This record gives sequence, structure tokens and C-alpha cells, in this order.
Amino acid sequence: MASGPSLDFLSTSFSLSRVDDARLTPLQEGTSSAIALPLVDRPANFLRDAFAGAAEKDRLHFAHGTTTLAFVFQGGIIAAVDSRASMGQYVGSGTVKKIIEINPYLLGTMAGGAADCSFWERDLGRRCRLYQLRNKQRISVAAASKLLANTVYGYKGMGLSMGTMIMGWDVSGPHLHYVDSEGTRLKGNKFSVGSGSTYAYGVLDAGYSWDMGVEDAIHLARRSIYHATHRDAASGGVINVYHVKEEGWVKISSDDMMIIHEQVKAEKKAVDDAAEAVEGAAASGAETVAAVGSAADPTAAQDTGDASAASRGDVPPPASST
Amino acid sequence: MSILEYNGGCVVAMAGKNCVAIASDKRLGVQLSTIAMDCNRVFRMTDSLYLGLTGLHSDVTTLHNLFNYKLNLYAMREGRVIKPTTFASLVSSTLYEKRFGPYFAEPVIAGLQPDGTPFLCAMDLLGAMAVADDFVVSGTCAESLFGTCETFYRKDMNPDELFETLGQSLMAALDRDCISGWGVDVQIITKEGVTTKSLKARMD
Repeated sequence: MASGPSLDFLSTSFSLSRVDDARLTPLQEGTSSAIALPLVDRPANFLRDAFAGAAEKDRLHFAHGTTTLAFVFQGGIIAAVDSRASMGQYVGSGTVKKIIEINPYLLGTMAGGAADCSFWERDLGRRCRLYQLRNKQRISVAAASKLLANTVYGYKGMGLSMGTMIMGWDVSGPHLHYVDSEGTRLKGNKFSVGSGSTYAYGVLDAGYSWDMGVEDAIHLARRSIYHATHRDAASGGVINVYHVKEEGWVKISSDDMMIIHEQVKAEKKAVDDAAEAVEGAAASGAETVAAVGSAADPTAAQDTGDASAASRGDVPPPASST
Repeated sequence: MSILEYNGGCVVAMAGKNCVAIASDKRLGVQLSTIAMDCNRVFRMTDSLYLGLTGLHSDVTTLHNLFNYKLNLYAMREGRVIKPTTFASLVSSTLYEKRFGPYFAEPVIAGLQPDGTPFLCAMDLLGAMAVADDFVVSGTCAESLFGTCETFYRKDMNPDELFETLGQSLMAALDRDCISGWGVDVQIITKEGVTTKSLKARMD
């Protein structure tokens, strides 16, 4: 249509369009703002119908399995993700980057369709930059997440699969929003998304507190993803952890889950060894301690003594006060 | 997900010079959720005959019990230990008996014939036998296993080389399958006896 260079890429959204690509000039083609739709009666159903008759293994399979989490605490926001892309039962990749760096102060996570997440979050980055250029100030996290939510809502029912968390630190502090391809947009302090999210929530909820230190928060996030990769078949690979601070985000670590596995195993062994040692010592001195109620470190020894006695099936003597 | 992929798991067996080895993973799951990491799917039938079963774990256990029962009766009636080829035929007929309502399990048989030569065969859930002189595979990552075994296999390996080759073939295939893994057990069967070794595998 235009005879000069096209400025289509500046338009604010990818609109649903039935543009016939043959009419675009070569310059326009590369910067077209239209996502092409199949030229059929009901484009929304085209993809689903195309594979309707095919066997399960021939259908379009999205890389779906994943565990991602993010939470806000006193020191900012921690985001942690796994790196496995599974297509059904096949491991498509073990090195997927599921944290998308939208810009130096905004992060997005990826769960669901990899193409959908990476494309639309990159598009979000483009629109955040346009906002910044037009308004001479950075976009807020709430506005950024709303841009994404409204964009994908326009494609609702057409098969997009995306469950993402948008997080960043703007003038009003650190914020975390969950946005998905159904059009859900939720503000919160703690989210986990993906097939392994239930496992991550268990560990995360048990250890979370707003007043955690930064190191504890990173440790908790890493452990939560580790436990999810261990139990969930569709999560695995490398655990990536990021920290969002006032100055922007920073990448903390990228550890293979087997490294964390060895750490957890070693910790459990240390705890078991310590418990055995105490039990051994307490068992031999249990009667003396219980009868005399000795003053030297009495409480701990007595408690363990009682516990080990109870576990041996003996009736524990009433704990004498110290 | 099909019924054969409900629990996950895989078994592979390979032949060497006058020895065979059979290896399996240790995962037991319910679709994507991992329930156990110490599940056994390779069973000793006789000192020189091992049966590996993949598929629905309920049928794996049932078939294991059924074949133990049949072999006990065989030993009582015949007064001797069953040969691998005979056992393979027994497994095949037992599976085909249920042609129109099959056991959802796919066996792998690995053993040494009375003269010491290796015997390997795999079957589908209906009992179709495929005898091979190099390796046989079964399970959710069977296609991957075919690829890795084909690459690493050589003829006439001794027990140590066989263990190494089989272990590496299985571990490489496991890393590309979501619903198998979490540990590997390998049994190496020779005239002298059976050695069992466990390999450290990825736990995700």
C-alpha cells in the first residue's frame, strides 16, 4: 500500500488481520504487524481441526512440562525455574531458558508453549520500550502485565498456551503478576506455575516468610525447584535463579539439579548420622538422665532420651523439670 | 497417554561372548508423578535366565507371579531347570492366550543356553517373539534405546565391556525420556554366576 518505507512496526499491537501477504512490499513483509490467519471460515478452529483426525503422536505437541516459581519478600523478588522442555514423554531439551529478560528491570517466566511465551514476552519488551520512549518514564509492572494480558486475551480460544509471571521493581516497589493465556491476571506475593508447581508449592510454603534474608530466599527457591524436578517427570535439567532488586534483576545461579541432589543427600545423611549418634549416647545414658535429672545440658539430652525411649516402645518417665 | 505409558520404565538386554546382561531403570510413576525410585522390573527365573517386563506395573507383577508358578510346576514335573528357548515359548503362549484382552506388559528375556551361548528375545504385549543375537529393548524409551544400542554395540564383548556398553546405552536413552529413569540396575549373567550393579543416574 505505502510507497515509502513502512513504519508498521511502530503500531501498538499485533492485530488479527486477513492481510494477503502477496500485496505487501518486501520491506513491509518483514515488519508486518499482522499475524496471518488461515483464510477459512472459522480460523479459530483451523489448527484444532487440522489435527483432529490424526493419531495422538502426530498431533501438534507443545513443550509443556515445567516448574517455575517466583515470590516477593523483604529483599525483592526471587524467580527460579527448571530447564526441561518435554513433548509428551520425550525430552525435547534440557537447556531451555525459561526466564525471559524482557528488559533490565522486568523479568518474565515461561510455562506452557515455548514459542507462545518467548514471542509474546519479546513483544511485551517492544511495547514497554515504546511506552518508555513516548512517556519518558519506565512502565510500571502492573501496566506491563496488563499489556500482556490484554494482548493474549485477544487470541483467547485459539489455542495459545502460556502461563507466565511478570515481575519487576518500579517506583512503587517490587511487584509480581501472574498472567495466562486464558486471560487471567493476578497480583500476588507467591506463585508457582507448571506441571511441577504442586511439588514446589509444598516446599515453598513450608519455608517462606516475608522477613527472610536474601541468601535464605535464594536457597528456598532453589530447593523448591529441585524437589519439583525430582518428583515431576516433566521437569528437570538445570535450575536457574534470578533476583530482582531495586536496581534491576541479576542472575544468581544456574545449577544442574544433580548438584542440588547431592547436597540434599549429604545434608540428610548428616542429620541421620547426628541423630544416630545422639540416640546412641542417649540410649546408654537414658536411665541415669531420667532418674537423676542432671543439670548439665539436661533438656536436650532428656528430650532425645525420651523420644528414643518412646520409639523403642518403652514408657518414657515423666520429664523432670530443670 | 496410553496404558503402556502409565507407569513408565524400560528394560534392555545385550549379548556378549558367552555372557548376557540385562538392565532396567528404577522409576515407578503414575503418569507424570514419580511414586517410587526402587521398583524392580527384572526378575530371576532361574540362575541363568532373567525376565524383564515393562508396561503397566500391575500386569508386570501379575505376570512375574504367574511365571514363577508355572516354572515351579515345570521343575516339579520335569525334574530339571527350563531352557531359555522353551521359556520364551511359554511366555509367548501365555500372552497370546489373552489375545482379546491382553496383559499390558512387554517382556524381554535374557539367558544362557545349556551350552553357554547367549539367548535374547523381546516380545510385544500379544506375544510376538523377536529373537536377536545383539540386543533387545522394551519400554517407553524403546526407540531411543534402539538408537543408543545400535551405536555402542560390538560383537563378542567380555562381561566388563558388556556392562559398560549396556549401562551407557541405557543412561543415554533415559536422559531423553521423562517417564523413565531415577536409577539403573544391571545384571550380568555368566556361566560362573550373576553380578548385580547399580548405576547412578539423573534423578529428574
